[in-house]
Amino acid sequence: MNKDIAIKVCAGTGGVASGGEEVLSAFRNSISSAGLEATIYEKCSAHRVGCRGFCAKDVLVDVIINGEKTTYKHIKPDMVARIFDEHIMKGNPVTEWIVGEAYFNFHNKQTKVVLSHCGEIDPEDINAYIAVGGYKAAKKAFASMSPEEIVDVVKSSNLRGRGGAGFPTGIKWELGLRIESDIKYVICNGDEGDPGAFMDRSVMEGDPHAVIEGMIICAKATGSHHGYIYVRAEYPLAVKRLQMAIDQCKQSGFLGNNIFGTDFGFDLKIFQGAGAFVCGEATALMRSIEGKRGMPTPKLWRSAEKGLWDKPTVLNNVETFANIPRIIMNGANWYRNLGTDRSGGTKVFSLSGKVKNTGLIEVPLGVTLRDIIFDIGGGIEGEKSFKALQTGGPSGGCIPAEFLDTEVDYESLAQVGSIMGSGGMVVLDETSCMVNTAKFFLEFTQAESCGKCTPCRIGTKRMLEILERITSGNGKEGDIELLEELGHHIRATSLCGLGMTAPNPVLSTLRYFRNEYESHIRDKKCPAAVCKDLITYSVLEEICNGCGACKRACPADAVRGKRKSPHRIDPEICIKCGTCFDACKFKAIIKI
Amino acid sequence: MEKLVELQIDGKEVNAPLGMNLIDAAELAGIHIPHLCYLKGMRGFGACRLCLVEVEGMKDPVIGCNTKVKEGMVVQTQTERVRDIRRFVLDLILAIHPLDCLTCTKAGVCNLQQYAYEYELKDTSFTRKKMGYPIDQLNPFIRRDPLYCILCGRCIRVCKEQGTKVLDFIGRGINAEIGTAYNKPLRESGCTFCGSCIDACPVNALPEADRWRKGREWEYIKTKSACLFCGSGCDILISTKDNSIQKINTGAEPGSAKKYICAYGRFGYDFIDSEKRIAAPLKRLNGELKETTWKDALNIVAAKLKEAGGNTGFMSVAGMLNEDALTLKRFAKNVVKTKHFDTTMSLYSDVRSLKDSHSSLITTSDLIVLVGLNPSQWNRILPALNASIRKRVHRGGKLIVINSDIDASETRIQEVATVSLEGDEIPILKGIAKALIEKGEKADIQLKSAVSDAEISKDIEMAAKLILEAKNPLIFTSPSLFEASANISLIKGKVIAVGLESNARGMAQIGLTTEGKTYKEMASDGMKALYVIGEVPLVKRPDTDFLVVQNSHLTELAEQADIVLPATTFYESDGTILDYLGRFKKVSKVIEPLGASKNHRDIFITLSKILKSPMKKPTEAEIEKALKGKPKITFRPFVRKTGFDISPKEFIEAINASVLKSRRLSWLLELKSSRAVAA
Repeated sequence: MNKDIAIKVCAGTGGVASGGEEVLSAFRNSISSAGLEATIYEKCSAHRVGCRGFCAKDVLVDVIINGEKTTYKHIKPDMVARIFDEHIMKGNPVTEWIVGEAYFNFHNKQTKVVLSHCGEIDPEDINAYIAVGGYKAAKKAFASMSPEEIVDVVKSSNLRGRGGAGFPTGIKWELGLRIESDIKYVICNGDEGDPGAFMDRSVMEGDPHAVIEGMIICAKATGSHHGYIYVRAEYPLAVKRLQMAIDQCKQSGFLGNNIFGTDFGFDLKIFQGAGAFVCGEATALMRSIEGKRGMPTPKLWRSAEKGLWDKPTVLNNVETFANIPRIIMNGANWYRNLGTDRSGGTKVFSLSGKVKNTGLIEVPLGVTLRDIIFDIGGGIEGEKSFKALQTGGPSGGCIPAEFLDTEVDYESLAQVGSIMGSGGMVVLDETSCMVNTAKFFLEFTQAESCGKCTPCRIGTKRMLEILERITSGNGKEGDIELLEELGHHIRATSLCGLGMTAPNPVLSTLRYFRNEYESHIRDKKCPAAVCKDLITYSVLEEICNGCGACKRACPADAVRGKRKSPHRIDPEICIKCGTCFDACKFKAIIKI
Repeated sequence: MEKLVELQIDGKEVNAPLGMNLIDAAELAGIHIPHLCYLKGMRGFGACRLCLVEVEGMKDPVIGCNTKVKEGMVVQTQTERVRDIRRFVLDLILAIHPLDCLTCTKAGVCNLQQYAYEYELKDTSFTRKKMGYPIDQLNPFIRRDPLYCILCGRCIRVCKEQGTKVLDFIGRGINAEIGTAYNKPLRESGCTFCGSCIDACPVNALPEADRWRKGREWEYIKTKSACLFCGSGCDILISTKDNSIQKINTGAEPGSAKKYICAYGRFGYDFIDSEKRIAAPLKRLNGELKETTWKDALNIVAAKLKEAGGNTGFMSVAGMLNEDALTLKRFAKNVVKTKHFDTTMSLYSDVRSLKDSHSSLITTSDLIVLVGLNPSQWNRILPALNASIRKRVHRGGKLIVINSDIDASETRIQEVATVSLEGDEIPILKGIAKALIEKGEKADIQLKSAVSDAEISKDIEMAAKLILEAKNPLIFTSPSLFEASANISLIKGKVIAVGLESNARGMAQIGLTTEGKTYKEMASDGMKALYVIGEVPLVKRPDTDFLVVQNSHLTELAEQADIVLPATTFYESDGTILDYLGRFKKVSKVIEPLGASKNHRDIFITLSKILKSPMKKPTEAEIEKALKGKPKITFRPFVRKTGFDISPKEFIEAINASVLKSRRLSWLLELKSSRAVAA
């Protein structure tokens, strides 16, 4: 009996980090050793597939036997043998390892456009991409569409820049098309740098051909013959897979001279960035490609007029380009109807923080934050309550519970004091201190400021110093007002988006959680008991049974007490590391 | 004519050329928009955020340095909002600034100080912070003190634009600073110590190394002049106090990056009172040079000149003032009555090349062609020409380099060339002429037939295309290739032969060129008496009965002279020069002559009186008349002129030997040799 067997192992970043490569080779070994005595070897293939989004459950493995798919979660290499024996050989799936309802909820509530191939096809094989309809859109654009027609489709699709600013892509392309120049460039911005964001990375790693196809269509639409994909060197897998994809495209005649048999040439190169956050800013990115220090330059012209080496340049984000082939194939209306009146289509977010299901998700624009957090995300972890949603990374802000019914799009998120950004979403619960959260993001932007303009270079540092003094219990009356003043000035006077948005985490938390700042400053208390300098650990003597677990765990010998009698913590010695708190099984230790 | 647009700034109507930014446009109306990073003549940089102004119809303030004027624009530069912003920005800067204005070198000319005053900021409202950066003072020219630095990036930009490229931003965020590669001291960075960064710095981060306590800016007398050390003849601004030079800057207006001077021009002035400076006439007594009086010395000279008469030779440098040169010519010709007077110019150029050169400006040329020239900032061969061409290219000009002797490691000018043609210049120039003619440019029949056999390579074709497309092509040529280059200018463009000395062109016009023996012949032919003026490149006494050396310093040659007459330096004498571009420039006396030294023309006039044939000082009108003369360019064969094969580097070093031995510049030569050893 011949079985049609396919095994898919997550080899995205999350998958690899959880041991995907080992799982994969374990499957390979099992198959090949079994292949020596059985016939299943020939039909069995071990695929590398890109990110499937649900990183919390990695390593995820699909076993498909005669078209019937079973998905396993948290697979380790030593678990492979059992799956192989029981499921593949004997046809009995290992039920206790199969994903549960959460997995299906997580996926079923999403609408996958950009991520539709991620986790489904082998990103290292162009034929896998072609098999699911890849490069049809580019061929269509070259065979039967004029540049104006392509631009019209993109324009009426209502696609807006997915890098975060939301500039209408069609209008950008139209500018690029209209301007005349001997040389024009298409650049893909893959310099994803927000802490905790991995949307673009997953697309580049999981479906590199979609990005390239989008760029080819853009080249055709704007009459550009040169392109760059700017990827940070910290994304080696993305670089590798994009390079493989480019090479395969060249072999297939999809890149290079005379692409798709026409007289149109498009040369695409990868440029590896050195990992400066500010290089995600368009002008800094272009300076970086030019070999200069990645520093933003004041915009006298749009990049579409004068960009890379002063030549017209259309620069879009990874996700934006990845949307293009689908829009060309399925039509502008289809895409526009997925979203809201103001912005069409879907958006990929990386959902993380204190939520049950973390991972990469894609939803149509217009869904509510509540849907994302409570349906897809499965709600708050533990028995805690939701406090805020941080969106847009270090340039974004925190949205409180009262706005959970906000529909996600560029304008509505801006209205509540945050931004869409490139798609980071961090869920915060009652144990998160908002002052500390703001401080975390400001630490990041402050360190990543290129140092060129005064407000961003010195101003963010001044803000950070104030936050540091507030969280360490040295806050003063007037600090809140000073933060607001600094924030508004920095926002109004900075040279580039990094500086202009750097105060957002502080300003939005001040807007909604001012009381937390006030308790830090006036009462010298951190309501969420996070800021070390403002909390004390103590033992509830009526609960403590004197087991000594805390005493043994304490690295500073701050816990006093005899066995079987209540212990005490010496506040003079305590370093507030929280080890005792975690060690106590009876919840006898509190922090306030 | 540039197109003008009309706009309103602070209620005033302003007509500004299209493409001008708001800072410059406001300046036209006498309105100052505060700025720290903007440097006149460069693109707006947008770093300091002080020049934010409000424009009607725009939601947010815009930066004046990078916003161009538009018809009908209404700009407000002093609204409460922008004043508030400026106060905020200054407040931030002050938080990491030393605020030691009491003793700060830059007090009085510091832009930050000026704005703090204007915006009433006595101190910062933030916590003051010291960054603790070390000071780089391992060279005698430039002190780099990052503590004062406000990161405006002006120094980086001037250094990059002129091609020296040793400075850049390093680090991120609050730790961003300006430094060299690997943040090494300047002496290990490839810096040429031209000091352009000194002129660009708006604060005290880059002062001259010895500047502190050498007087306050407001105590200085500032005089415009020109530097005579080499063929560039750069504009300089000399600051003096108590009859002593305190510093020299470029002649550009403060806060602009329009001009360049090299380390010689900026720091070489210490040679004024160096050890070898001569303060009194010297005569040879029992084989040794002893001080004597002017009267005694001149009487001896007069007697000897009278005796030698027509067998007297006058050898001078061509870096002399027009007034001195004309007086010398008259003295030699009319008083001593000799035909033998010549200058060092004859070592690198014939007269006609310089006289027939056009007058033009680098800044107005959109294409520069460099023929057989190797200007270098690093070798200090016409460094200003190198820097100016690079600046022009940086701002969109094109450059063609035609050179048979490209030493890539040293010259480097071809690295910015649009087209670099390596090889014998003559066939290349012929090829270009032919290509231009083939493209339909008119030329006379002789020229056409002269180039009929020329070959046109792809690069020559490209060069011809560039010349054709350019509006004002300007050819700089080595004098030995002048005639071949001038043939191109017969088709299109202007041509200038570049000499190695500051007043070579003036000398050629005045005609201080021999009617008898040449400079070289006089040096070897055994004149009865030889009168040497200035620091000529001779170290061994030529065969002569009587040698007079008239110079500011006791050179090796002067040490072998019979009489040494102490002359002034160009800082101690008024006069004029005609620079290589054909510009008439004033040289100013900024300090009194040291000791008993006199300027050249006064010495000749005194001698003429002793010789009973008294001369007068040349008048302005006479100078003007002598310098008149228009280039007459006609076709001449494509031939390289011979006999001009001295090494420009050795020549320039030889005529400036006393300057290079001065306190600070000698450090530079030692550094160079230690770098060479290390390499």
